[in-house]
Amino acid sequence: MKTTAVPLPTFRVERSTRTSWLGLVLAIAGVALLISLPWWGGEDDLRLVVEICYTLALAQLWNLLAGFAGLVSVGQQAFVGLGGYALFALTIIAKVPPIPAVALAGIVAAVLAVPTALIVFRLRGAYFAIGTWVMAELFSEIMGQLPDLGAGTGMSLPVAISRAVGATVYERETVLYYMGLVLGIGTVVLVFAWLRSRQGLALTAIRDSEIAAGSIGVNSARTKFAVYLLAALITGMVGALIYLENLRISPDAAFDVIDWTADIIFIVVIGGIGSIEGPFVGALVFFALRYFLADYGAWYMILLGAVAVIIMLLAPRGLWGLLSDRYDIHFFPVRRRVRLE
Amino acid sequence: MAPLLSLEHVSKNFGALKVIDDLSLSLGEGEALGVLGPNGAGKTTLFNLITGDLEVGAGTITFAGHDVTSLPAYARCRLGIGRTYQIPHPFANMTVFENVLAGAAFGAARREAESYRRCVELLQITNLLPKANQRAGTLTLLERKRLELARGLATNPKVLLLDEIAGGLTDTECQLLIETIRAVHGAGVSIIWIEHIVHALIAVVARLFVINFGQKLAEGEPRAVMDSPEVQEVYMGIEAE
Repeated sequence: MKTTAVPLPTFRVERSTRTSWLGLVLAIAGVALLISLPWWGGEDDLRLVVEICYTLALAQLWNLLAGFAGLVSVGQQAFVGLGGYALFALTIIAKVPPIPAVALAGIVAAVLAVPTALIVFRLRGAYFAIGTWVMAELFSEIMGQLPDLGAGTGMSLPVAISRAVGATVYERETVLYYMGLVLGIGTVVLVFAWLRSRQGLALTAIRDSEIAAGSIGVNSARTKFAVYLLAALITGMVGALIYLENLRISPDAAFDVIDWTADIIFIVVIGGIGSIEGPFVGALVFFALRYFLADYGAWYMILLGAVAVIIMLLAPRGLWGLLSDRYDIHFFPVRRRVRLE
Repeated sequence: MAPLLSLEHVSKNFGALKVIDDLSLSLGEGEALGVLGPNGAGKTTLFNLITGDLEVGAGTITFAGHDVTSLPAYARCRLGIGRTYQIPHPFANMTVFENVLAGAAFGAARREAESYRRCVELLQITNLLPKANQRAGTLTLLERKRLELARGLATNPKVLLLDEIAGGLTDTECQLLIETIRAVHGAGVSIIWIEHIVHALIAVVARLFVINFGQKLAEGEPRAVMDSPEVQEVYMGIEAE
């Protein structure tokens, strides 16, 4: 179209920022440190890092769902539980070795997410949230009806299966540690890559205006469905890992809304919804509060709630939102900048 | 030759209110059509029915040989129906550049890197290049309207639906907008333009379509339509010039 007499300026499109290079260096150093942990850390350190890893993974996935796709699910415990139960079924009944069973458990969760999505995607907003919760309860009830998987009281993982992970306690803890690390870091990398891609462009467009996204050719139903399945896949793997480490599963624990969804929502909301950095900040605050306040029982929960309310009122986009607005820092740059030359 | 876009006996009710009432309209390939009508006549609803933002209550819509009546909005966009919104809907937390890029990536189904050039060109045409890296939410209303145009054009439409894009412009700005729309039309894009600023409309379109209460009031050559007694009655003697 010859609309301007002015020639087009030369330009390039940049995707990294100065802080993102710093972030990359910090990330590599951090990962190297974590990889070396089994040589210098204790068993408790390993377990704590695994817990942080899967919590961060769950937080990143919930943020992708709620912060980007607008899918405010309070039923992600469905996929933690299904992943855990799939691990038990695969290893005990189908005799699959435990490590591949963790990956397969994710696939089982993703497959079961298809009919779940067909039901809950008919609902919007608060109704969607309630629908996801109801589906999680439904799966919990179904698992409680299966005698081969311990019915309502749950069951323990046979010793032979946990031996298959590693012959000694140290070996087992080390293997579980690296699996947790791969899941945690892998999820962050995957979410980052997803948001930088075409899918991410579509998701951010939907987040900002679903109606305008449709008018420029974005298939929002398919984009959301893809995110929902991705979240179920990884959440299922996380669930399998959690119960491979726990060695005992029951419907009440595996489908617990507080542990697997409410705490995660807390982390994302106080850290900053709609950014990759937010869940990191939120997880840091969450684990720090727990470390300092765990002995205070009910007061800990009350304080946790108070912190959430205060941050929601004073900083609706979370702690990271405050920081990135003020200093324009982005460790995970998903934006594109045009530089005119 | 079959028209590019045709609406046959299209109706739309909001509850008991008939917003569009048995309306038929057709647009030829490469044609520019102006749509006039008082507030609440159903002009924007007409656009929403064409783009698929709303479903028709009755009737059929055909575009470029496809029956698009029950297609969702994104599919109609990919077939070549582009639009701007009267109340701009920018992707507020994306940059201005990314807003346009999203249009090119999904509406025109181009690879991201291939569409960079086109996006920069569209930002230059719409005079938004200096703001390319700003969040779209920081733009003023007039800039948001220009962004609507750039983003709509990025989808590479066969027909572009412009919904009151000239409102609030100064005379100079309005003249520049007319030039831009003429150039878009000159490049082969068909246009349907809703506008209250009749002289701007007439500078671009060869045919006017006037609606009132969701029905066709008049249609034809702009001056003849503006002079017709039905339109004179509704518009109370506003001159074409």
